[in-house]
Amino acid sequence: MRKLTVIPERCSGCRLCELACAINAFGVNNPKKAKLRVFSLYPHPVIKKPIVCNQCGIPKCSENCPTGAIYIEDGIVKIDEKTCVSCQMCVTSCPFGAIFVHQEIAVPFKCELCGGNPKCVEVCPKKAIIYTPEHILGQSARLAGVLKYAHMKEVEYFEHGIVKKLRYADIEKDKTSGDNNDN
Amino acid sequence: MTIKGGYCQKILEMDLSKNNKHVINVSDNFAVKYVGGRGWGARIIWENLEHIKDPLSPSNIVVIAPGPLSGLYLPASGKTSFSSISPATGLYADSNMGGMFAVEIKQAGYDAIIIRGRAEKLSYLFIDDDCVEVRNAKKYKGLGCVETERQLKEDLGDETLRIATIGPAGENLVKFSCINSEWSRNAGRTGMGAIFGSKNLKAIVIRGTKDLPVFDLTRLVKLGEHAYKTLKSHRLFEFWQRQGLMTVVDYANAAGIMPTHNFKDTCFDDADKINGEVMETFYKIGDTACYACPMACGNVNLVKEGKYAGTVTEGPEYETACMFGSNVGINDFAAILKANYLCDEYGVDTISTGNLIAAVIEAYEKGIITLDELDGMALHWGDSDSIMELIRKIGEREGIGNVIAEGSYGLIKKWPAMKQLISQVKGLEQSSYDVRSAITMALAYGTSDIGGHHARAWTIAKELEVGADWTLDEKAAIVIYQQTVRPLFDMLGVCRLPWVELGFNESAYAEFYSAATGIETSLEELLKRSEAVYNITRAINIKLGATIEDDFPSWRCFNEPIKTGPLVGKKLDREEYTKILKLYYNKRGWDENGVPMLKTLDRLELTDIKI
Repeated sequence: MRKLTVIPERCSGCRLCELACAINAFGVNNPKKAKLRVFSLYPHPVIKKPIVCNQCGIPKCSENCPTGAIYIEDGIVKIDEKTCVSCQMCVTSCPFGAIFVHQEIAVPFKCELCGGNPKCVEVCPKKAIIYTPEHILGQSARLAGVLKYAHMKEVEYFEHGIVKKLRYADIEKDKTSGDNNDN
Repeated sequence: MTIKGGYCQKILEMDLSKNNKHVINVSDNFAVKYVGGRGWGARIIWENLEHIKDPLSPSNIVVIAPGPLSGLYLPASGKTSFSSISPATGLYADSNMGGMFAVEIKQAGYDAIIIRGRAEKLSYLFIDDDCVEVRNAKKYKGLGCVETERQLKEDLGDETLRIATIGPAGENLVKFSCINSEWSRNAGRTGMGAIFGSKNLKAIVIRGTKDLPVFDLTRLVKLGEHAYKTLKSHRLFEFWQRQGLMTVVDYANAAGIMPTHNFKDTCFDDADKINGEVMETFYKIGDTACYACPMACGNVNLVKEGKYAGTVTEGPEYETACMFGSNVGINDFAAILKANYLCDEYGVDTISTGNLIAAVIEAYEKGIITLDELDGMALHWGDSDSIMELIRKIGEREGIGNVIAEGSYGLIKKWPAMKQLISQVKGLEQSSYDVRSAITMALAYGTSDIGGHHARAWTIAKELEVGADWTLDEKAAIVIYQQTVRPLFDMLGVCRLPWVELGFNESAYAEFYSAATGIETSLEELLKRSEAVYNITRAINIKLGATIEDDFPSWRCFNEPIKTGPLVGKKLDREEYTKILKLYYNKRGWDENGVPMLKTLDRLELTDIKI
């Protein structure tokens, strides 16, 4: 099983993913009909984040659907248009806001991973949306943790009159021992 | 010829004096003939010209127009043109911004918005698809651009609204104030902010949900995908994403064309402290892109330490880095960021502001302006504190700021000796290229319809690289070609940077246009329409009293040779310039005074333009 994951730090907010998604899903040039959304918050904190469906294993949208229209098929959360009454409970109950509505479309719509070849991933010029095996999820956080721990530093020194550089991990005392920092 | 897509064929006309909304249906003929964006703007202004009295009176109009390609699936399709009569130059003016605003206008179902009149009180225009309202903006009076947009979004409860707003400078009718959107997308030049201010229009808030009409979406997507692939495979693509236009600093400095100390010098000793490398290494925290653009020119920068710590802004790009760097002698990148932030917040153009502040510093140095007249604030090159204070004073029209706020003509009126110090054309402060070494660039500035700006033609690099043996005739021709291609992008509602910077082929745009509109059109045909628009803007300027004298670059270009750097000793020769200007007129089909001749207007199917 693969899932969409996003790296907000990379996103430039160009919304090409939205546009490509809407064209792919509904055949119209209208980013307001995309099954994902890029949210830009500014000026503080400066962040842009594509909101994508996480294909939850225990989906709140499905739990809250009064007509049982939302079901899981091959790990993908889908909306059955015939059963759906468009009450939009799923839209408001999704913890990520990853289900969308548009006045011209009868029922709410959400990401179904484009049959295993997500368009948004293909078009993103910044590689901010990634389609990745489940077990990789969380790895960026793990990696960030390790990097934070390591705090690579650089020092310049002279050897026989030549400037040389040495890289080392500047491990913070309070992080290693868990003791209170006494400065 | 029937339009089958690309255009909504509707213009929203808003008369703020009468609070009257009116939707104009656009004929196929008009839409196609003037293409869109700046083309529509110029034509609509021409039609209203006789009623326009003073640029800052209610009689002036502003045309806000994306183009037929805006919002579509192709690179950088998010440009909006603002056209009007400039309060700075008194002539035709347009300026455009990127971002998302264009898409929203089109999604609301309009190809353009015309603003007329003057609202009784400070107001903002709210457009939600078909609902159009003028609302009170008293609450936002005096607020900076960023803050206004943030508060409007909060008050209206929708983060996805697109907003174009002016800052205090626009409200105070500063003649080079701009219109700002999404934090740092600016229609910066020619004083568009002051025109909004004069109309008591603080902001336009817009939300659109409609499908954009496209004749052949499959073809467009195929073309778009090819375009994205071409751009992404360019060898400089990744570097461009990292540094954007900041890459130009090193180039311009090494080439000896980077204005330094108010255009006196052309190289800056500390250029390596304000270049793309410094930005990327010490300040950059993120990228920003306009709509559907893979290039992501925008650099979000944060100052992490020192007295400007906490300053976060999108920018600078080359123009700002030069105007608030080398041109005022600042070698501290953090100070440039702060100046950029202040300009965005007050809503003033960074090019004009940096240019004029540098001129004032030199005037003070030369004793033209006294310490008293500077409100007791001694000015020196690189003195960032006083420069920040000057930006504030300009925005709030306080003391010396009130004089600078009148632009180069205002300064020259008060201190006539400053005529020799200010680099400007037609009253618009020149952007960041020194032209003493490149006559084509001088001609480009001189004959630019809005004044001293490089948007119309940018020939300097090519002339310096391969132009040594060009004849004057070839030189005039290359300027005309650029002045025809580059404005075409503003008419189509797309950005020209994929073409300028990553070598994307311009003929692709004819294909995009054909796919979108269903009217098979060649690049030559589009270029002809762009040339026609250049003649309309020329006609407007002639009607407004522009003469051949307005087509000359500034005094310094002819009289002070470059003192240092690789191009030392270069200056322009007035006689040679006059010669190339006449050649240029001739090639354009204009008479010796620069007035388009009847046969030219005939050829361009502009027989109804009577000059």
